[in-house]
Amino acid sequence: MVAMTGKKQLNARILISAVIISALLFLSGIYVGYSINREKLSYIESTINKITSDIQNFQLEFLFLDVLGENATCPLLADTLSEINKESYDIGTRLTSYGKEGEIQDYNEYVKTKKEYSRLLIGYWLLANKLKTSCKLEANTIVYFFSKECVTCDDQGFILTYFKKDLGEKLLVFALDGDLDEPSIQVLKRHYNITSYPTLIVNGESYGRFLSKGELEDILGIGRIS
Amino acid sequence: MSLVFWTTLVNYAAWYIFVFIAVTWLIVLFINRDEFSTIRRKRIKRFPTISVLIPAYNEEKNIKRIVKSIFRVNYPKNLLEVIVINDASTDRTREIVEAMEGVILLNNKKNRGKAHSLNRALKIAKGELIACVDADSVVEKNILMKMVGHFENPKVASVTPALKVLRPKNFIQRIQSAEYLLNIFLRKSLEMIDSIHVTPGVFSIYRKSVLKELGGFDENNLTEDMEIALRIHNAGYKIENRLDACSYTLCPSNLRSLFKQRLRWYRGALQNTVKYRHMIFNRKYGNLGMFLLPFNFISILAVITIFLILIWNVFDTVKTFIWQLYLIDWNLLVFIKNFEINWEVFFLNTFTTSFVFMVMGLILGGYLLMKSFHITKEKFSFNKLGYFTYLLAYPIIMMSFWLTAMMFEIFRIERKW
Repeated sequence: MVAMTGKKQLNARILISAVIISALLFLSGIYVGYSINREKLSYIESTINKITSDIQNFQLEFLFLDVLGENATCPLLADTLSEINKESYDIGTRLTSYGKEGEIQDYNEYVKTKKEYSRLLIGYWLLANKLKTSCKLEANTIVYFFSKECVTCDDQGFILTYFKKDLGEKLLVFALDGDLDEPSIQVLKRHYNITSYPTLIVNGESYGRFLSKGELEDILGIGRIS
Repeated sequence: MSLVFWTTLVNYAAWYIFVFIAVTWLIVLFINRDEFSTIRRKRIKRFPTISVLIPAYNEEKNIKRIVKSIFRVNYPKNLLEVIVINDASTDRTREIVEAMEGVILLNNKKNRGKAHSLNRALKIAKGELIACVDADSVVEKNILMKMVGHFENPKVASVTPALKVLRPKNFIQRIQSAEYLLNIFLRKSLEMIDSIHVTPGVFSIYRKSVLKELGGFDENNLTEDMEIALRIHNAGYKIENRLDACSYTLCPSNLRSLFKQRLRWYRGALQNTVKYRHMIFNRKYGNLGMFLLPFNFISILAVITIFLILIWNVFDTVKTFIWQLYLIDWNLLVFIKNFEINWEVFFLNTFTTSFVFMVMGLILGGYLLMKSFHITKEKFSFNKLGYFTYLLAYPIIMMSFWLTAMMFEIFRIERKW
């Protein structure tokens, strides 16, 4: 091989400035992604706040029952209930998909939001139960316990979403994360003796396994939904 | 750490490399912006003798066109010789060349390949400069007047022209045409950092004394035009590029032949990078060693990674959609009704940061491509849809070719032309 006649040109300055500029661009890209994620979470939070105030409103309306009687109060309550119902399920879906992303930067904030949402759901579930007895509300309630490790939970969640979309306010679904370190969830878990996931409490009755579309239709006593 | 974590990390690393390379080109473009807009003419003080070598294997359709094209070139006729090397063609190439006046014809007894043909002609060539040109090409009239002046600098061992696609017609050829234009811009940028690593066989000119000093072309190489360029650098010489000297070549018109061509090119690129691995991250070899050779490959790995992750995501989503349809007894109507939810889940799961980078990548890549059209003074021959199809289709097609080439090299499947 022929000996080199001289050193080759090396533009270290170009390369170093490229490293720096691309790092800046890259970091700003990450920052934009992070901001979008923050935006998503803060949107969820603001909706949760709105639902919380709706529920407080609901609790107040509930007190009317004693004073005004069922005939006057029940239509009022049913309206508010369906309003909360629609939003709370949407927010649940968003919160779940956000959690799946694997890019959560602020994990503590996310867990806090989730806990808040769970408490809200439980309160909402209790009120719905009361309404069922006091106002003879004709709605099915499903409390759905899921866990991160559970394999069939995604599918169960999807089937519930599907039922929810189809039945609307006739079905109230309360999806609770069993892994969450939240006292009110733990109380419910002990009460229904939940040991495996998914577990569904359909109108007060406990099913400790995955329920397919057909099974759920039978349990709810409804025809085939389309 | 979880799979998601590692995938995210690799994805980010790949994007960083992508951004780094695009930014490097933009900086080179910015620093040398004047060179791109006004071409510095190189005055020829003394006209050197030139030998044009045309290796030909079964080129009865093309050989006349290229020889005529060379004879039309504006240069003192007594200083120019044309040598056709007929590499044991089985068609009428030989008769056609024999019928032409003023052409020296060498006939190989057996088919020995391009590098061997060139080396054989090199032994009898009288020119101080050697121009190598494939038979399926044509050159512009003033190509020599533009390129020869660069050899006034004794350090320059080779000069490359701007290579364009001859009469692109269908989509496959137009994709390549855009790619060639991008390469014209990149090759000029490469010259600016003294790192031209390929002297394409479409009218690259060499100084004969250097070719002889280096021992001619490597006959056991898939891409002898990359090998010789690296050898020239290795010996410390310079390779320059002339932006406005145009040569044109036919290019594959279907995916099958494009695949064959690229497999050879990319395997050759891998082979030569391994051969010249001592240059990689070696300061002695300047930008070529510190940037081009390593990042030429790392960038390809990065693009492959980005696209594999993207394709995996899309595949995963489709799989989920089908599974969900099964869960609801194939009730397509309800599924479509619920699509807003599914779409949102898909969107939230797949993108955000990757999506931001993808937009960034498209803008950077699109800008460089537009700049190439501008610099080569080519009309923007795509409509907007075609343009975006190009940006998306090109990496997918080339990525699959690269992947195959890497597989072939790793598993050492026999190399052939």
